[in-house]
Amino acid sequence: MGASTLLLTGNIDTIAQMSCNPAIGGQAKGQIVREIDALGGEMAINTDVTGIQFRLLNESKGPAVQSPRAQCDKKAYQFRLKHTLELQPNLQVFQATVTGLIFAAGKVVGCQTSLDIEFLGQTVIITTGTFLRGLMHVGQNKNEGGRLGDFSAKSLSSSLLEAGIELQRLKTGTPPRILGRSINFTGLQEQKGDLAPTLFAFHDTRDPEDLFHVEPTGERRLGWKPGSEQISCWMTYTTPESERIVRENLHKSAMYSGEIVGVGPRYCPSIEDKFVRFADKPRHLLFLEPEGRSTNEYYINGLSTSLPFDVQVDLVHSIPGLEQAALLRPAYAVEYDFAPPTQMFPSLESRKVENLFLAGQINGTSGYEEAAAQGLVAGVNAVRKVRGENPMIIQRHEGYIGVLIDDLVTKGTTEPYRMFTSRAEHRLLFNHGSAELRLYQHSLNCNLLSLSRLGRIRQKALAIEYWENYIETMKTAGGIWAEKIRRSEPLNELPAGFLAQPKEVREETLYRVRYRGYLEREQRQIEKLKDVEKIKIPSSIDYLAIPGMRRESALKLHQFRPENLGQAARISGVNPADISILMVLIAAANRSQSRPPAAG
Amino acid sequence: MSFPSDTIAALATPVGTSAIAMVRASGAQVATLATEIFGATPLPRTVRHADYRDARGQLVDDVLFTYFAAPNSFTGEDTLEISCHGNPFIVQKILEDLLARGCRAAEAGEFSKRAFLNGRMDLSQAEAVMDLIHARSERALAAANLQLRGSLGRHMNSLISQLINILAEVEAYIDFPDEDLPTADRKAVLRDLDVLTTATSRLLATCHYGQLLREGIKTVILGEPNAGKSSLLNRLVGHERALVDPEPGTTRDYLEELILAGPHALRLIDTAGLNLSPSPLEKRGIEKSLEQAAEADLFLWVIDTTRPLPVLPPVVAARLSAANTIAVFNKCDLPAVSPDLLPYNFSSVKISALTGRGLEALQAEISRLADGFKVGVGDELIAINVRHAHALEQAKQSLEAAHQKLSLGITSELVASDLRVSLDALGQISGKIDNEKILDRLFSSFCIGK
Repeated sequence: MGASTLLLTGNIDTIAQMSCNPAIGGQAKGQIVREIDALGGEMAINTDVTGIQFRLLNESKGPAVQSPRAQCDKKAYQFRLKHTLELQPNLQVFQATVTGLIFAAGKVVGCQTSLDIEFLGQTVIITTGTFLRGLMHVGQNKNEGGRLGDFSAKSLSSSLLEAGIELQRLKTGTPPRILGRSINFTGLQEQKGDLAPTLFAFHDTRDPEDLFHVEPTGERRLGWKPGSEQISCWMTYTTPESERIVRENLHKSAMYSGEIVGVGPRYCPSIEDKFVRFADKPRHLLFLEPEGRSTNEYYINGLSTSLPFDVQVDLVHSIPGLEQAALLRPAYAVEYDFAPPTQMFPSLESRKVENLFLAGQINGTSGYEEAAAQGLVAGVNAVRKVRGENPMIIQRHEGYIGVLIDDLVTKGTTEPYRMFTSRAEHRLLFNHGSAELRLYQHSLNCNLLSLSRLGRIRQKALAIEYWENYIETMKTAGGIWAEKIRRSEPLNELPAGFLAQPKEVREETLYRVRYRGYLEREQRQIEKLKDVEKIKIPSSIDYLAIPGMRRESALKLHQFRPENLGQAARISGVNPADISILMVLIAAANRSQSRPPAAG
Repeated sequence: MSFPSDTIAALATPVGTSAIAMVRASGAQVATLATEIFGATPLPRTVRHADYRDARGQLVDDVLFTYFAAPNSFTGEDTLEISCHGNPFIVQKILEDLLARGCRAAEAGEFSKRAFLNGRMDLSQAEAVMDLIHARSERALAAANLQLRGSLGRHMNSLISQLINILAEVEAYIDFPDEDLPTADRKAVLRDLDVLTTATSRLLATCHYGQLLREGIKTVILGEPNAGKSSLLNRLVGHERALVDPEPGTTRDYLEELILAGPHALRLIDTAGLNLSPSPLEKRGIEKSLEQAAEADLFLWVIDTTRPLPVLPPVVAARLSAANTIAVFNKCDLPAVSPDLLPYNFSSVKISALTGRGLEALQAEISRLADGFKVGVGDELIAINVRHAHALEQAKQSLEAAHQKLSLGITSELVASDLRVSLDALGQISGKIDNEKILDRLFSSFCIGK
């Protein structure tokens, strides 16, 4: 986009450092990564190049719910991204801790830093992760910081509060890291990567020089081809002894002793929670995941805890294969501030402070992918704001990023928000392979991709359209191709011209043909919703003064301030009659600029 | 700015029995709709007389209809006004047919709202329109709440809860393929789906007054062989030929006819005779009539006055009461051998099915009992009923689709897609159901999280 940008970070050496396990993708998140790639983001390519294990989840199910997942080399991932930023034109990276914001006339105009250097800018994006008043717990032990070994952003919170932004606490946790050579792998079940890895970036439309834009000599410099030379993960289970240790020491856990006030995620429970809430489950599955090629550190996925360190040691040793394991870093829980996301516009700009954008965990989300998606949207919209252009708003029916942001700004969240495919009404349209096609219009409008890549996406879309039409209309022995495909009849051979198409074209075409009935049903539902999405609600509206509006709805609308009627209708407790009343009011306001209606 | 315009339909005159009722449809599809129903492209602003036939080609009523082309109509959109006989049953049939043809049941005050949005009302009327929407929706809401607080609400909550359970079960394996979940038990899900489908059908059937309106009051004609049951049926049917709607008899071996008695629709069912010492051949027919009797709303007990007074089998007698039974003394054109005194307190009517004598008195008596089935109905309840039934039917169909897919082993996100359509349909009755509920259930029943 070419905007002059400054990136401030407390520590340049930990840019893109993954605080939890170095895994990217998985259910719904894998689709998000592909959407990020479709919008010109870096996450997909960075994962492809630094991935050490690739698996396609749900391969036995339909394409809509298949998700790529990769285990990355933690340090390679981080350094490659740092390098990418260093090479990015118009971007200046600088190391300093932001201590506060500078406001003028209700708008943000810059920030102060720990070095007493002030930076001014037309828009500011805050991405604090778990660092905003971060407090880590290991049993009764407490340390300030957003990640073990790192600092805590202590004073920024007061600057946000001062500007009228409400803050609350959330909590998350991470398991112990152990030394690989202290693990006894005999008897443990191995989990290998896929023989044919599913990569995240759209290599079919990407410019060739894009793939290795950091690695000057390509594969040779990298040492391996993306997706090759994969490393395995390993599976083990907790034992009755593990359960006994946890139960006997429950009172020492930070979470169970009332030390922690923040709300934790239900989908990522601590081992304490698992034993207490699912007492009938005899054992819990754990994954031993390598953190990189050039380290012997392993991550025990599934053993998140805030028990004291000595208990953690006993707990780890009670697990088959880990009897002699050496702990490199303890598990800990971390509490941090977040700003309930209903305080934002769908552009991710704060409603309270103009020109201030928020992205990532500060908005109550969890996960690298959710954060990256918001960072991208906030970045694009901060630039567009400066240039006086309309924000890029991805709709709920266009992709998971649309669902994510719409959920955040219209519903808010009470736990760290993670994306699931079941959150999307139109999941069947969100197969990971179609991300580029779904988001093409946004990439084009906002100038997010090179012209050559946009051209290739367009060509791909046309080829799919052509072959879809061909297969739907042309006959072969025993009927029309499409009908044979939908009846799952054996096909002698698809047309040669079609088989000569790239894999991406073939897969998307066949998906559309095979699932036509379902995809059309979803499209019909979307068409119905689209009309109300288009009706903008004037920001000056005073809900509390609308005649005939139910009090409960008026209060909800007043709180959430929806941008359009579609959003208003999704707010729970707002019924169709309230929407009807709102519609009349908007029409009246539009018809009479000179004489605003009573509530205008 | 353009406001959404799907095609909506509702009763435009007050609910209840009156001489004439008017059903209005408004929206872009109206001209196509009129052509489909009445067979010709309508001329604007011309009153036409025509037969109303439903989508299956069955005659519903003879009606007057007027087509208004946009923008010269009340709403400013293409509008169709259909004046039919003021019988709730006919109104219901027409509304249901319009919904089946793709209309949506209008929200409270929606016609006025559209009139305003399309500039057919003065700006000064904006507040009046909002008040109207508010008032109507409050009334509709009150009626709906009344039902939802009662047994309908309990049933709805139970259906929704069961469906969310099933969805959570299916979704868990989609969203958490890498977790250590117990092996998916397809048979258990299929069983749960069966239970839910049955419960949905039952609720659909027990929306009682709604069902009486929709399907007619189930009226069983009982009596000994040759008492004149079939003649009575033919007589009643012949008397009201305007609204004969023979059900396809493929699944039933007894006769069933729809007739009108005053404002009420009856589903007349002729049964085999109630011989107390049946021959093996008759036995099946009698079992069938007992089955029928168990589900009936109203009984016409036909007694042959030329023969000694019959005795009712105890299982049948237990179902009969003064509120649901009329003793019909037939063959009163012939000399009677038995007195018209019964050891029961049923009302009685003397008729001759052969000559038609006493038929009007019988109809009046049927009408009187049928009135007793009518529960207190508030304004717009009829619209709620059409909507409820429509939504439940939709829910049921999607459940059946999901069941079929699951048993064929079709991939689970498609099963979930059908289940969600079903959940949305139930949500049309009980209020929108947030996706979050599925996740809540999922996290409480499965140990998720690595």
